[in-house]
Amino acid sequence: MYQALLTRRYLTSKVMPLLAAIAVALCTAMVLIVWSVMGGFLAMLLAQGSSIIGDVAIAYPVIGFPHYDELIEELVQRPEIEAATPTIESLGLLAVSSDFGDDLEPRVVQVIGIRPDEFDEVTSFRERLWWRPLGASEDETEDWRRKEENQDAMARILEEGSTLSERDPVTGVAEPAMVIGIEVTRNNYRTPEGIYRPASAFTPQDRYTLSVLPLSRRGVAIQIEDRSLPVANEYRSGMYDADSKWVFLPFDMLQDMLKLSEARRVPADFTPGEIFEGPDGPMIKRPEATETVPARATNILIRAAAGFNARETEAAAEEVYERFAQNHQGYPLGPTWKENIVYVWEEKPGLKQFIAAVRKETGLVLVLFVFISFTAVFLVGAIFWSMVSEKTKDIGILRAVGAGRLGVAWLFVRYGLAIGIVGSLAGGALAWVIVSNINPIHEWLGETLGLYIWDPSIYYFTEIPSRVEPMKALIVLGGGVLFSALGALIPAARAASMNPVKALRFE
Amino acid sequence: MGALLEANNLYKTYRMGKVRVPVLRGASITLEAGEVVAVLGKSGSGKSTMMHILGGLDTPDKASSDNAASTVMFEGNELGRMSGAELDRYRARRVGFVFQFYHLLPELTVLENALLPAMAARGRVKYTHERTELRARATELLSSFGLGERLKHRPAELSGGERQRVAIARALINRPDLLLADEPTGNLDEVTGAGILDALLAHRSEAGCTMFIVTHDPKVAQRADRVVHLRDGVVVPEGQPEAV
Ligand SMILES: Nc1ncnc2c1ncn2[C@@H]1O[C@H](COP(=O)(O)OP(=O)(O)OP(=O)(O)O)[C@@H](O)[C@H]1O
Ligand SMILES: [Mg+2]
Repeated sequence: MYQALLTRRYLTSKVMPLLAAIAVALCTAMVLIVWSVMGGFLAMLLAQGSSIIGDVAIAYPVIGFPHYDELIEELVQRPEIEAATPTIESLGLLAVSSDFGDDLEPRVVQVIGIRPDEFDEVTSFRERLWWRPLGASEDETEDWRRKEENQDAMARILEEGSTLSERDPVTGVAEPAMVIGIEVTRNNYRTPEGIYRPASAFTPQDRYTLSVLPLSRRGVAIQIEDRSLPVANEYRSGMYDADSKWVFLPFDMLQDMLKLSEARRVPADFTPGEIFEGPDGPMIKRPEATETVPARATNILIRAAAGFNARETEAAAEEVYERFAQNHQGYPLGPTWKENIVYVWEEKPGLKQFIAAVRKETGLVLVLFVFISFTAVFLVGAIFWSMVSEKTKDIGILRAVGAGRLGVAWLFVRYGLAIGIVGSLAGGALAWVIVSNINPIHEWLGETLGLYIWDPSIYYFTEIPSRVEPMKALIVLGGGVLFSALGALIPAARAASMNPVKALRFE
Repeated sequence: MGALLEANNLYKTYRMGKVRVPVLRGASITLEAGEVVAVLGKSGSGKSTMMHILGGLDTPDKASSDNAASTVMFEGNELGRMSGAELDRYRARRVGFVFQFYHLLPELTVLENALLPAMAARGRVKYTHERTELRARATELLSSFGLGERLKHRPAELSGGERQRVAIARALINRPDLLLADEPTGNLDEVTGAGILDALLAHRSEAGCTMFIVTHDPKVAQRADRVVHLRDGVVVPEGQPEAV
């Protein structure tokens, strides 16, 4: 009983415990912020990734699959699979207008040929088109999508983006168009609130030239294909890597550009330029196409049906692929290759290594910070040690009036717990305030001190994760309380083992 | 009236490096229930030491080649055989200490200081249950010592005499059978000292509590039932000539 009273009095009448509580608060805040941001980043990646690139992919880069429509037909018959769509992925070069002069700047881009409606069923393509009418609003006119006079144009642009076509305003003839990542041109200025505003040029009205390299089966460029295309809309996933690189084209168009559409093949032993004796004299022998090469897609993206996770869907897709490959012996790859070409989205080459690196990094940073926070144990320990020394006489008095050793030890452990609770709660609150406002804070740091810690080109997302998960908060705060109690333990043991007479005679 | 406490053959020697300071050398004393005994002795003669031993706060030396076994019996139970927890309970329930230098907790108010042994002797539940009663008793005790208006004050805001009275209230809160007071009037002027002694003796006649009062003050000794001297490590009754 006296412990509660004394804890309260000691806590409010001394500066030292206040310092200890502040140390605990800073440590818990530090760990919680790091965990929330790094862990939140990973969670964001895992949560958003699949809605950007689908749950499962079947991919055979460059060469691609023939009979993909047949494969898709079989895939969607499985209950695990909700939808599937073919895509073609290739490297490309986009010449964009720059803010400086009339010169065009080339950008290396990832060109993705999609069937927009199907693609939207597998990913959330339409949702991520940036330019769209958001309803007129007077006080948010900084956002172009909310300007009264833009509403009609935005509606049209959204429609054009989701069909990858643009209608000529004069003739009314529709022509194929691109959708490009919102960070591709760098003509959009991102405000601290995360809104994009056209800096000078409004991209969707521009026309850019896209070049791709059709490759032979040996991976050698056959020629350069280029098209000048209008930009229908811009795409924003929030994942910097996609937003700064991706260019969407109509599937058929890219297939054509990359020479992946249906073709006829000449026999391998045909010798060009061979002359033979025709009925009317010598003639050049004409190749006779004996074989039709079917059209190909490089990727098939799959969305899992409700109730099935990506792994189950992957297994289903592997089965379907195995059967499919058996029916089309020898081309492109046999059934045993299923392990390599069917994968859940997290295992997409490049992304997989990145996710693994982030996981490791998060773990490492967390361990490091917890280790640093361990200093709080010693800090609390040191402060309590001196408190016990200072309170030696009190300990003697308590023992004289009948307090037991355990009771005296509990007094100090309890006191440590109280400091831990006060400190952890304060630290949790601090972390919450900082994490919730981390994007404005980061922006402010950048503007006033030139300190940009979060580089979107490294961290994928243009925004820093800003959510404190209750579970994490609970663990960190619990840790803070535990560490404080731990720090109080040795001084408490010392207090308990004090000889009461010596304590009373202590000057 | 049987003996409440019987201390036999107490030895206590402090060692400081090679130097041995023998303080108690076979001191014995018997306290009858309800009697007030005054203990006189020179400074450094071991009065406080003996009081600590009787209160179970300190232990006498173990038997060795120099000395026979020391024992302290309280109501027939030997303190030396009690466990730590039993000793804690003995101090909490049966004994009240008044120290030479008040020894109040500076962070607690007058009332809280007086209640401290009541808290230490009870668990949280029991204390909460009896809280109103105990507070009433503490208030009454402090009022009877003229501190009724000072309940919320801190010890630092009190005079020496007032602090000593708080210490006495604290010693009496659990209605101990044995009060051990170490120079309760030591630092006080004659009038205040007499007042404190009045308060103590009034309490004795009311509760029948046995008192062991260490003092230098002949006036205090006069009012005790019995006076003993602590001299050369042993207890000698008053009037007995000094040992050679
Ligand atoms: N921890 C210790 N180590 C060494 N010597 C000690 C220790 N505690 C007490 N002493 C010595 O024991 C002797 C008796 O001390 P004690 O406090 O019992 O005397 P006292 O009779 O109460 O004196 P006073 O009247 O001055 O209060 C003193 O000489 C003191 O120096
Ligand atoms: Mg003394």
